[in-house]
Amino acid sequence: MTKNTIDVNTFQDMLIHGGSHLANNADTVDALNVFPVPDGDTGTNMNLTMSSGVQEAKRQDAAHAGKVATSFARGLLMGARGNSGVILSQLFRGFAKQLEKKESFHSEDVAAALQAGVDAAYKAVMKPVEGTILTVAKDAAKHAMNEKDKHSDVATFFASVVDAAQASLERTPSLLPVLKEVGVVDSGGQGLVIIYEGFLAALKGEALPENAYTKPTMKDLIKAEHHKSHQGFMRTEDITYGYCTEFMVKFEEDKLKKTPFDEEQYRDALADYGDSLLVVSDEDLVKVHVHTETPGDVLSLSQKYGNLINMKIENMREQHREAIKNDAPETNASTESETKEEKPFGFVTVAMGDGIAELFTSIGADVVIQGGQTMNPSTEALVEAIAQVPSETVFVVPNNSNIMMTAKQAAELSKKAVYVIPTKTVPQGLSAIMAFMPDKTVEQNEKHMTEAIKHVKSGQLTYAVRDTSIDGKAIQKGDFMGILESDIVIVNSDKQQAIQELIKEMVKEDDELLTLLIGEDVSDEEKQKVTEFIQNEFEHVELEIHRGGQPLYPFLLAVE
Amino acid sequence: MSIEMSSTFGRIHIDTGVIATIAGGAAVECYGIVGMASKNQIKDGIAELLKKDNFTKGIVVRQGEEVHIDMYIVVSYGTKISEIAYNVQQKVRYTLNKTLGLQVDSVNIFVQGVRVTNV
Repeated sequence: MTKNTIDVNTFQDMLIHGGSHLANNADTVDALNVFPVPDGDTGTNMNLTMSSGVQEAKRQDAAHAGKVATSFARGLLMGARGNSGVILSQLFRGFAKQLEKKESFHSEDVAAALQAGVDAAYKAVMKPVEGTILTVAKDAAKHAMNEKDKHSDVATFFASVVDAAQASLERTPSLLPVLKEVGVVDSGGQGLVIIYEGFLAALKGEALPENAYTKPTMKDLIKAEHHKSHQGFMRTEDITYGYCTEFMVKFEEDKLKKTPFDEEQYRDALADYGDSLLVVSDEDLVKVHVHTETPGDVLSLSQKYGNLINMKIENMREQHREAIKNDAPETNASTESETKEEKPFGFVTVAMGDGIAELFTSIGADVVIQGGQTMNPSTEALVEAIAQVPSETVFVVPNNSNIMMTAKQAAELSKKAVYVIPTKTVPQGLSAIMAFMPDKTVEQNEKHMTEAIKHVKSGQLTYAVRDTSIDGKAIQKGDFMGILESDIVIVNSDKQQAIQELIKEMVKEDDELLTLLIGEDVSDEEKQKVTEFIQNEFEHVELEIHRGGQPLYPFLLAVE
Repeated sequence: MSIEMSSTFGRIHIDTGVIATIAGGAAVECYGIVGMASKNQIKDGIAELLKKDNFTKGIVVRQGEEVHIDMYIVVSYGTKISEIAYNVQQKVRYTLNKTLGLQVDSVNIFVQGVRVTNV
């Protein structure tokens, strides 16, 4: 049945349907609420606002749709609650103003009214935030203005407006970073779409399903919280609140008499104990998720309200340690890359020793493949590592001349844009990554990083595994060899003398910084001796010492 | 004047001007606010809207044992003023806590004016 006007009865019906559809789904809207203040009351506020509006509209028994719209707008204003409620009241204030003299509405009236509502709503804000209910209303109105002459049937017309609002809602996460981070659409926008859907159902004369929306479950929210908090710490030591605590409180009446339950107060109280807090309650139950250092205190506090059920407490430090251990390239590459946030550039590097790996990670490497001299990673391992990096552009920093070919091969095999920076030593690799500047282009960075390699002198101390003769130097098994870049410059049977000679060979007058990476077999005493030697002999040089933990090479040196 | 926090590496001083700027930035994002007004109406004229770069003139941060913030705002005509004020309180408190880890004890809102626009 084609209907090209909205009469007063239909309009009242629309408002009632919009209100009840919102009431049925207010919880869903609450759950989405992360902006502007993530307190989960947007749906509740919008619902209270809307029902106040609908009440007023019902009271108006005039045979005049324009007057109903005016009463509706007044009711919204009187009952406006929360940010989204106020915005809603403004949208319909402009809407009603446009229609106040009309007895019934055509499609073009509705379009003009929606647009007038948006204009009014935008006027009342100093700095409109896009990606919110305002954006959804604006896009819907714009669509309505474009489509107003194309449909003779108002229901078909309004259906296309609802579609436009829905499409706009789905775009909100790309406009508002906080939404994207949590992976939800804007709550106020969702509320508006629900109201429009109610309007449409009334126009079509259809019944609405009671729960059209599946609410993001507590589980989804917990997942979002964990995701956020995992992003926060790279190292296990950085976790302030070690226990992920989840439980429910089943309210008991006599306990509630003594300590009445107020969700906001309860949430505030829990907030003192930790973070990543989620509290969801209804009449009989409250569900809680919190990261805390003192789960016992949280439980005791909650027990005041009733029985504790479904408790689960996990030690996140242990989990995190496990997670780091599992971070080796061969393990679950796909799930890892899914949870990591997309960024413009990423790094894959190869190193030996957990200390060096940590050093690389701390300066920005995404994946550190364990390997190096005598243990070169396969092309496949490199390709996998590149895939794991959450960026489309990846720099590979091989730190060894033997890996260069493999790296280039991996670059060809990978679907991503891969740039191999020709670093032959760990110090070169460190300088290269340090030279990276996130605000520069890929080409500029490739140049900078390759340039940086030239400014660092790399030295390595290792020992001979058999008798040999290189460059006319006779070397016996067990001798220590000091290598500068790729030449053996020092051979000495005493480790301490060998390193001292190598340092003398390397550090020149205009050098400023000496970085020493200590291998796994170096005793504290040896380290002490080298440190003292450097401090006494080279006063002008700044010394930086890191525990590299690398095997086979007691010392790695970088001089800049 | 500044507030002080200590960490394991040393102390952090945050000037009250910083607090005022953050509070102001949060407030103007709130729906229904058309601007900040000077706290000194008699000196600066009646409810004159402050320009963006000096809107912190309309914000006073008082700090003793506790932190109190007074904000002088102008709201849009035809909105529910009490709700807007409440939204500003919430948002300012939340934003300061999020960005500075600062617990604000009160955010007092002074509505200095209403701007009427033709709808």
